[in-house]
Amino acid sequence: MLIPRRLKHRKQHHPSRSGAAKGGTTIAFGDFGIQALEPAYVTNRQIEAARIAMTRHIKRGGKVWINIYPDRPLTKKPAETRMGSGKGSPEWWVANVKPGRIVFELAGVPEPLAREAMRRAMHKLPMKCRFVVREGGAI
Amino acid sequence: MAEIKLVAEARTQFGKGAARRIRREDKIPAVLYGHGTQPVHITLPGHESMLALRHSNALFAIELEGESHLAIAKDVQRDPIRGFIEHIDLLAVKQGEKVAVDVTVNVVGESAPGTIHLVEAQTLSLEAEATHLPESVDVDITGLEAGATVTAGDVKLPQGATLVVDPEHIVVTIAEPRGEAAAEAEGAEAEGETAAE
Repeated sequence: MLIPRRLKHRKQHHPSRSGAAKGGTTIAFGDFGIQALEPAYVTNRQIEAARIAMTRHIKRGGKVWINIYPDRPLTKKPAETRMGSGKGSPEWWVANVKPGRIVFELAGVPEPLAREAMRRAMHKLPMKCRFVVREGGAI
Repeated sequence: MAEIKLVAEARTQFGKGAARRIRREDKIPAVLYGHGTQPVHITLPGHESMLALRHSNALFAIELEGESHLAIAKDVQRDPIRGFIEHIDLLAVKQGEKVAVDVTVNVVGESAPGTIHLVEAQTLSLEAEATHLPESVDVDITGLEAGATVTAGDVKLPQGATLVVDPEHIVVTIAEPRGEAAAEAEGAEAEGETAAE
């Protein structure tokens, strides 16, 4: 699973969920992609589950790119604890995904196979997504 | 390709509010610049511009107040989710002038059985005559074996075009597809990494 090797601060504020993606909104590497349509915190487990769903379906051939990285720690207080006495302990690693962001890319497989593989991957993700195909134009 | 005519109106109101009013009327705010002249702010018809931009590196003849300006699309801003065009940057060009543009790489043919091709550079920077810009360049990979690469220097360029990028720049690589087991092994390897506290 994706986890940062080094970190400057163990506990961070929650990342902002407002607005749309400022970059990474077009397919950069592959031929097909999954585009987020809603804001979400995508955990490293969800990214891994989606990657496995995709690679198991395409079996052989193809190349998968993961365009997001779970670099934000989220904390949680233990159950039945009174409020106060400091921030909880880090529980999840998440990527702050905003609408429009291309989350995964895929190349080297025919479109029907890519579409089905990505449909399976989308079921592992916490937000509404859509399948996108690279456009022909340079601009 | 022949030039595409678009009738433009001069724009006098600027800013977010004015731009949104223009878009509500199914028009697109745009700017025309180049050759050291002052930029001209214009409004283009929405549907015609959208159809014209389907051709990559198309040459436009912008009709503005009785004058015709030749231009190419330098940048197009689109809404990332709904995909409509928000703004167009047009670069004014002259007949016979050479301009540098990004041209889409189009892979043709099939590599050797049991291999896949990976397009490392989706576009190639070329210098070509503004009035004869290529829409795409074809890269033939017929029969190439695993481990082979096609560099920018190997690509057959359209007549009159020259490369802007390094000829050693890799455009397409041919590789053996990785099996599911290899992908799983990579996943397990990543799992072994721990976060520093």
